[in-house]
Amino acid sequence: MFIQEHNCETGEITQRELNAKEIKQRQADEKAEAARQAEAEIKAAKKQAILDRIGLTADELKTILG
Amino acid sequence: MPTTTNYGWTTPADTDLVKDGASAIRTLGTAIDTTTKNLNPETTLGDIAYRSSTSNVKTRLALGTAGQLLQVNSGATAPEWATIQTGGMTSLASGSIASSATGFDLTSISTSYNDLILYMRNFSISTTANLLIHLNNDTTSNYWFINDEFASGTASTVAGNGETKVRLTNTISASRDGLSAYFIIYDYKNTTAFKSYEYYAIADYNKFAFGKGHFNDSSTLAITRITATASTGTFDSGTYELFGVK
Repeated sequence: MFIQEHNCETGEITQRELNAKEIKQRQADEKAEAARQAEAEIKAAKKQAILDRIGLTADELKTILG
Repeated sequence: MPTTTNYGWTTPADTDLVKDGASAIRTLGTAIDTTTKNLNPETTLGDIAYRSSTSNVKTRLALGTAGQLLQVNSGATAPEWATIQTGGMTSLASGSIASSATGFDLTSISTSYNDLILYMRNFSISTTANLLIHLNNDTTSNYWFINDEFASGTASTVAGNGETKVRLTNTISASRDGLSAYFIIYDYKNTTAFKSYEYYAIADYNKFAFGKGHFNDSSTLAITRITATASTGTFDSGTYELFGVK
C-alpha cells in the first residue's frame, strides 16, 4: 500500500509505502468504518422490525410524523 | 490664405503667384507631415494610439506586458495596461491521485495565506469507503464535527465527537465516478486557537454530506499538512488542488 506525497514547497510528487503509524491508523480506520456500517445496519434493521410490528411503511410513518 | 476643411492645412490661394508655388507646396507638405505624425504616434510593434485632449493629436500607449489587460485609468481619462487581479486564491499544489494509492499527503504547506481550500474532483474509490482527512498528521482524538448527511432522500445528522480524523462522506459507493469534495480550513496559520473547517462531499449521485467542525490542536501549530485517504480500499482516479486564500 502506498500514499502519494506532494511537497507543496518544492512541488515534488512522490509515492511512498505507508509507514507503521499510517498502517496502524488505516487498520483503525477500517475497523471503525466497519463498526460504523454495522451499527447503521443494525439500526436500520431495528427500525424496520418496529415498522413491521406496527404494520407501517417508512413513508407512512413519515406522513404521520410530518 | 485658404485652409483645408478638416486639418486646417494652408493651401495656395487662386491669386497666388506661380513663383511662390514651391514654398506653398513645402508649407502644405510640412503641415501634412506634422498632422500625420500626430495621428500616428506609434513607434514600436504593438503600440496603440488613443485620442488626447488635443484634437487631431493622439497619444501613444506602449504595448503592455504578457497577460495584462487594457483598462481605464483611475481618473477615467485614458486607457492603460493593467495586471489581472487573481482574486486572492493561489494554487499551492495540484495533481492527479495515483491509481491504487490509499490517498494523498500534502506537506510543507506555506503559511503565507489566511485560509486553505482543498478541492477534489472526479475521484473514485475502489470499494465502499469514506473519505478521511487528517491535519498535521494528527491521529489523536482532536477532530470535532457535525455531519449533515443525505442518502436517498433521508437526512440525518451525525456527531463527530472527538474523532481521530474528519469523515467527509457518508459511505462512498464503490467505483462511483465523478465524485467531488471541498474542504476549507479557516485561519489555518494561527498558533493560539483551534482551527475551524467546513466541507462538502459527494458520495454518489444521491448521497452527500456537509459539515463543520474544529481541530482541537493543543500543540498550537499552524496547519502545514493535509492528508486525504480512503478509509478502506484505494483510489481509482481523481485530481486535487490546494489553494491558499489571502
